[in-house]
Amino acid sequence: MEALNVERVKKSFRSDMMFSSKEILHGVSFSAREGEILGFLGPNGAGKTTTIKIILGLLRQDHGSVTIFDRPAGEKRSMSRIGYLPENPFYYPHLSLKEFLEFCGRLSGISNKKLDARCEEIISLVGLDRNKKQKIKSFSKGMLQRTGLAQAILHDPDLLILDEPFSGLDPGGRKTVRDIILELRNNGKTIFFSSHILPDMEALCDRTVIINNGAITKSIGLDEIFRIGENRIEITARGCSSKTLDDLRDYLERVDNKDEETFLFVKKQEYIRTVIQHIYNSGGEILKVANEHPSLEETFMNLVNGEKASAEKASEKSNSENEMKKEEVS
Amino acid sequence: MRRISSIALNTFRETIRQKLMYLVLIYIGILLFSVFVLSPLSVGAAKGKIIIDVGLAGISLFGVLTVIVAGSSLVHKEIEKKAIYSIVTRPVSRAEFILGKFSGIVFAMAPLMLSMVVVMAVMVLIGRGEVTVTVLLAAYLSMLEMVVMSAVVIFFSTFTSPILTSFFSLCFFVAGSLSGDLTVFANRFGGNSMKYFTKGFYYMLPNLKIFNLRHEAVHDLRFNSSDIGMTTLYALIYCAVILYFANLLFSRKEFS
Repeated sequence: MEALNVERVKKSFRSDMMFSSKEILHGVSFSAREGEILGFLGPNGAGKTTTIKIILGLLRQDHGSVTIFDRPAGEKRSMSRIGYLPENPFYYPHLSLKEFLEFCGRLSGISNKKLDARCEEIISLVGLDRNKKQKIKSFSKGMLQRTGLAQAILHDPDLLILDEPFSGLDPGGRKTVRDIILELRNNGKTIFFSSHILPDMEALCDRTVIINNGAITKSIGLDEIFRIGENRIEITARGCSSKTLDDLRDYLERVDNKDEETFLFVKKQEYIRTVIQHIYNSGGEILKVANEHPSLEETFMNLVNGEKASAEKASEKSNSENEMKKEEVS
Repeated sequence: MRRISSIALNTFRETIRQKLMYLVLIYIGILLFSVFVLSPLSVGAAKGKIIIDVGLAGISLFGVLTVIVAGSSLVHKEIEKKAIYSIVTRPVSRAEFILGKFSGIVFAMAPLMLSMVVVMAVMVLIGRGEVTVTVLLAAYLSMLEMVVMSAVVIFFSTFTSPILTSFFSLCFFVAGSLSGDLTVFANRFGGNSMKYFTKGFYYMLPNLKIFNLRHEAVHDLRFNSSDIGMTTLYALIYCAVILYFANLLFSRKEFS
C-alpha cells in the first residue's frame, strides 16, 4: 500500500492583479511507499511547502488528488494517521511543554488514561525532560524544533510529514532527530521530509523526490544516485613538479594546489595506475587515493542546472522557430 | 466534544492571560465614584437606583468591550503565527475549532462578568439600595448580550484583521442596540423601498435592545417573565446562525 500518493496536483495563486494568477505547481505527482523514508528536495521557491500544505489540507489544490493510505487527504481518518512538523514552528507561548503536548494529545484522540504516560515518554525521547514544566515562550529555536517533533509523533502516526526537521538544531539535536527518524522507520512508519541539509537527507532517505519550478524533476533511490555519473577519483600527492603535472594533463580532469599538497582529479579509473606511477617516478610522494561517489548535493545541482540549461535551450529553440515562421510568413 | 473542550480550555487560558480582570478594578472605580460622588447628590431611594443604573450599564459596556478587545485577535493571531497548524493538521474539523474558540471566549468572560455583578451587588447594599430579582435578571441579560457579541467577534475574526474585527463588531453593537428604532424610523419617514431596506437590516442585525432590562431594574417595574426565556432562545439561535456562517467562511479558508 502507498502511504502517500500525490497525483497531478496543480495550484495557482492570485497575484497582486485581481484577475491574473500564477501557477506554482504544474501537475506534481509522486508517492511514498509504506515504511520508507522519502526525501523532498528542491531549491527555495520550488514548491515544496505548497505541496506539503496541500497534502495536509492547509491549501486546496486546483487540480489533481492526494490520498493517504488510499483515503482522500483531509478526511478525519486520514488526518489521524498523520504527524506534521512545520517549518519554523510556533506554539502557544502561555503553555508549558507538558500542557501543550496534553492539548495536542486530546485533539488527536489519545485517551486520558494513556495521555500522561505517553507525554512523559515522548518528552524523554526528544530530550526535554528537564524542560517539561517550562513555558514554551522561553524555549530556544532548537528546543522549539524538538517540541515540534514531539507533538508530531505523540499520537504514534503512520505517516510523518516533516518540513525542514533539522533547521535550528545543534549537532546533538540533529543526531537525536536523525536517530528518532531511523527508529520510526524501523517501526514501520513512513517518513516524508523536506530539507536543505543534503548530507542529512543523504544519510537518511531511501528515495528522494526532487522538485524544481513547481514540477517533479526526478524521483531517485540512493543506489541510483551512486550510479548517476562516474565516481570521482582524487589523488593527494606531495612534491609534484609542474613538468610532471604537464605530462599528466591528458589523464587529469582538474588539479588543485593547497600548501605543499597537490590534489589531482583523475578522469577515468584505468588512468590511476599511470598517474600514480608517473608521480612516483618523478620523485613525488602519494599521500592518499580516494574513490568517491557524487554527493546528493552534486547530483541535485547537476539536475537543477541541467534542467535550467535544457529549459533555456528549449525556449531558445522555440524562439528561433517562431522567428523562422515569421520570416516564412513575411 | 473533547476536541471542542480542549480548544475552549486553551482559548480560556490564553484570554485570561490578557489580564482582563484588571477591568474589574476600573469598574469598581466607576461604581465607587457613583456611590460617593453621585449618590449624595440624590435623595432617599434614588441613591440605590443610581448605583444600579451605573452598575448595570457598566456590566453591559465592559462586557462587550472586553469581548471585542480580547476576541478580535484570537483567531487571527493563531493564523498569522501559524499556531493553528498544530490544530487543523489533526483530526479536528473547522467547525470544532470555531466552536472551541467561541466557548473559550465565553468561559473566559464569565468570571469577569460575575465579579462585576458581585461588586455591583455589594455597592448597592453599601448605598442602602436593594438587589432585586429584576436587577439580577438584568445582569443575566447583559451576559447573554456578551455571548451574542462573542459570536459576532468570532465571525468577523475568521476573515478580517484584528483592527477591522474590532471596528465591525463595535459597529454591529451600536447598530444592534439601535436596530429596534430602525423600523420605527422607516415607518415614520421612509417610502416602500426604505422600509424593505431597513427591514432587511433589522433582521440581519441582532436586536440587542431586548437584552436591556435596566429601566425595569432601576425602577423595579414589572416585566413579562416569559420574555426572559424568549430572549435566551433568541440569543442561542442568533449565535448558532452566526457561528454557522463563521464556519462556512472558515472552512473555505486557506493557510498560505
